[in-house]
Amino acid sequence: MTRRGYEDEYGIFAPLPTTAGVRKLAPKGFSTGPAIGAHLPDFELIDQHNMRLRLHTDRGNEKAAVVFFRSAVW
Amino acid sequence: MTQLGELRDAYPKFVEAGVKLYAVSYDDPEALSAFAAANDIPYPLLSDSDSAVIRQFGILNTEVEPHEAPFYGIPFPGTYVLDADGTVIDKHFPRHLANRESAEIILESALGKTVVNDSEPTASASDGEIQITARLHGGGGTIKSGILRRVIVRFELPNDLHIYGDKVADGMVSTKITVSGPEGLVIKAPLYPETQPLRLKNLDKEFEVWSGAVEISIPVWANSYLVDVLDEHRARTVPIVVQVRYQACNANTCLLPRTEVLTLDVPIEPLDVPNLEGLGFSAQRVTPMDSQEHLARLLKRFT
Repeated sequence: MTRRGYEDEYGIFAPLPTTAGVRKLAPKGFSTGPAIGAHLPDFELIDQHNMRLRLHTDRGNEKAAVVFFRSAVW
Repeated sequence: MTQLGELRDAYPKFVEAGVKLYAVSYDDPEALSAFAAANDIPYPLLSDSDSAVIRQFGILNTEVEPHEAPFYGIPFPGTYVLDADGTVIDKHFPRHLANRESAEIILESALGKTVVNDSEPTASASDGEIQITARLHGGGGTIKSGILRRVIVRFELPNDLHIYGDKVADGMVSTKITVSGPEGLVIKAPLYPETQPLRLKNLDKEFEVWSGAVEISIPVWANSYLVDVLDEHRARTVPIVVQVRYQACNANTCLLPRTEVLTLDVPIEPLDVPNLEGLGFSAQRVTPMDSQEHLARLLKRFT
């Protein structure tokens, strides 16, 4: 068995104990932000090329998917 | 991390369909630059290093306490799908920390239709004029720890035939899909399309039925036990068995109830994990970026 770490109730093993915040399930009814049917608020952020990017300007008139992820580092 | 690679692999389909793709995290631009270079990420990775947008949207992960370095500031991971006006037309926020939606499902949310991928494992059966096909949808038809896939069962019924939802006449058989698989395959409840009411005059009763092309979708995902077979048994595929029980009728008569068993031979792929000491788990693929210096900067935010 090469598996290591701590197992949660769904059978996922990870290095941190299941009591750590990053390992907890989102609470029931957790906030998922702007609702379906709402206009997604615009934002401006820096991209991986150090360029400023304003979402709705960059998108123009195209459909889009905006993915919020935890980290590219860990 | 695994999801970013899946989105990269599916990116040509996003471009072809005219759907832009953006990914936002609390990482700094330097970390995103290193990650994008090491993993050939073709779409924008956006740095919300003070979690301002994450907070503005109300998706700050509140399970992480402010003292939990370096994790405080991350969002509940999820995806918004926007139409051409920038209106949210769908969103995917799974509750479990390991679950992410497949790139294909995100794209299909934007397009409002399923995109068939020929590389996906399929199995089919036919009963006279009725065709039944099962396939493993998402990730190009592979399974990876945590990422949500769909087993899709498609019926193609000739014009005059229908199959039943939950409400059936006594002695008749409703449509039932049962998915089973090896240890570690997590199977969720089937998602059924809407039924149509059908009144049978001779019984003076109304039933809920499907006709034509019917797709029933069963979300599945793999936990660590399933993906471990990559290491322990050197297996490269796992069987997912789909049992389909149904009875087809027309307005006057019914065919005998049928049970079809369709087996999908599904390739397993390792999870992408960061290159950090102590994270070399089984059935994982280490990302070709040294995370140590970037982690040090994340930790410095907390001092």
